[in-house]
Amino acid sequence: MAMLEVKNITISYQNRPTVMDFSMSLEKGQICSLVGESGSGKTTVIRAIFGLLAGGGKVTEGEILFEGESLLAYNKEQWRRLRGSDISMIFQDSGAMMNPTRRVGGAYTEYIRTHEKNISKKDAAKKGIEMLERMRLPSGDNVMRSYPFQLSGGMRQRVGIAMGMTYQPKLLLADEPTSALDVTTQAQIVRQMMELRENYGTSIIVVTHNLGVAAYMSDHIIVMRNGKIEDQGDRDYMLYHSENEYTHKLLEAVPSIGGKRYV
Amino acid sequence: MFDEKDLILEAKHVTRRFPAAKGKVLVANNDINLKFYKGKTLGLVGESGCGKSTFMRFLVSLDKPSEGEILYKGQDITKLKGEKLRQHRQNIQMVFQDPAQSFNPKMKIRDVICEPLLNFKRITPAQKKETATKLLEMVELPGEMQDRFMHNMSGGQRQRVAIARALALEPEMIVMDEATSALDVSVQKTIIELITKLQREKNITIGFICHDIGLIQSFAHQVAVMYLGNIVEVLPGEAIGTEAKHPYTKALLASVFDIKMDFTKKIESIESEIPSPLDAPPGCPFCDRCDQCMEICKKERPLLKEIAPDHEVACHLFSGKDGE
Repeated sequence: MAMLEVKNITISYQNRPTVMDFSMSLEKGQICSLVGESGSGKTTVIRAIFGLLAGGGKVTEGEILFEGESLLAYNKEQWRRLRGSDISMIFQDSGAMMNPTRRVGGAYTEYIRTHEKNISKKDAAKKGIEMLERMRLPSGDNVMRSYPFQLSGGMRQRVGIAMGMTYQPKLLLADEPTSALDVTTQAQIVRQMMELRENYGTSIIVVTHNLGVAAYMSDHIIVMRNGKIEDQGDRDYMLYHSENEYTHKLLEAVPSIGGKRYV
Repeated sequence: MFDEKDLILEAKHVTRRFPAAKGKVLVANNDINLKFYKGKTLGLVGESGCGKSTFMRFLVSLDKPSEGEILYKGQDITKLKGEKLRQHRQNIQMVFQDPAQSFNPKMKIRDVICEPLLNFKRITPAQKKETATKLLEMVELPGEMQDRFMHNMSGGQRQRVAIARALALEPEMIVMDEATSALDVSVQKTIIELITKLQREKNITIGFICHDIGLIQSFAHQVAVMYLGNIVEVLPGEAIGTEAKHPYTKALLASVFDIKMDFTKKIESIESEIPSPLDAPPGCPFCDRCDQCMEICKKERPLLKEIAPDHEVACHLFSGKDGE
């Protein structure tokens, strides 16, 4: 049985369907990418899986099964237990997710103590530092003492990944995790996410608009357009065998070294 | 490829220092020499915080260098003041990264585009509608869009409006600061196509800031690679994939996700973070992240040297013609 199974879901905001008839399934340790332009519904899909639809969004049809259980029937308490421990999420800008007036350490220890009721503040901080250092942030205690704005974009994103990975979730949802970063930092973060799978067997769903990144990372690629699945398949199919016009258009848009020149 | 008589703007020994806390000095630009030619694009690549934007801001007279001069057709524009400076601004215009934030959200597109023309009394208010239509059509948008506001447009459309506004005064040169970084790859492509088309039609000089070396090499005639306030390599755009010499340029190239890459190989990238420009190393700025670092690199700062026509590198590995 697949770990995550999304069956023919339709998601509507204020009765206007935004994502229609979307299905996917994900095995343990698989990485899947959702690719498409802004407004194609990629983020809506992963937010639905995480139960975090904004602005009155609702799954009106279909089912989302996580390890055989229907997530749509969950109540608030069940969601709370699931989030952060079994499924967690990395946002586009992890700096914006944190309270700007609190140090990273304050936010992180609070996060840990919400999940583990009996842990002392000191132990929580220790756990946090350990996790940060495991995500290749040098001097974790220094990071804990900093405010989010004092860290660079890449460091903030690593803090976001460390937080998301604290309880070694089975499923990690990443919403454009590298879109706000420099190319060099992007490569570092992508590699680090791949290592999560090697080290922890985490399944990952990545939302991205860059087919180059998607092709590098994932076992399965889903191309979305206007709320529907336009094309899907593995890397080999996407890059060489797909006959879908839209996929071709997206492929052509990825700048390639030694490729097409405009001047 | 570059003809000296087409030289339109030249930066000579530009250095910019910012005072920092505890009496330290932050050197954002260190002795930069670059040349911009008529109708050509110069791409400036580097990671965040390396001083790309600081440099480009001098060109549009938003800031002044601490030392050095910027010659526009032989005239030093850093010395311009008052009305002369105001008149000069018509020659060089700028497109910012996020047009949603660089324009007044309460102004209609028509007013956004026509404001510079009205400022310089090039048109009368009665001609606004007609001018706006013409300019919007130039950037391939329907003329009716002029009645909209910025928030009613998509990212790509906004960037087109920003380009229309920058070109309204028919400048000789435009500076684009990460003009496509906030856009989807597919939209990015259409914007690049538009820019290169307009460049061919109007023979405009473009200064383009970008952190994606894969993108810049697809349309720049000349690329300058910047690291911690220093130019480390200057080379023709089409030569990047094959001729790049500096270890930093190579590291940038290696971190591009290319659909033609070898997917079985791990993506290479420099592991560490860019050091703070406050404590830049005394020798080569790149020495502590470079895997070919030698003794000399830690002590002596390498200077830009020409190793081939139109190709300069600042690295001790390539001592240049006279060093051998």
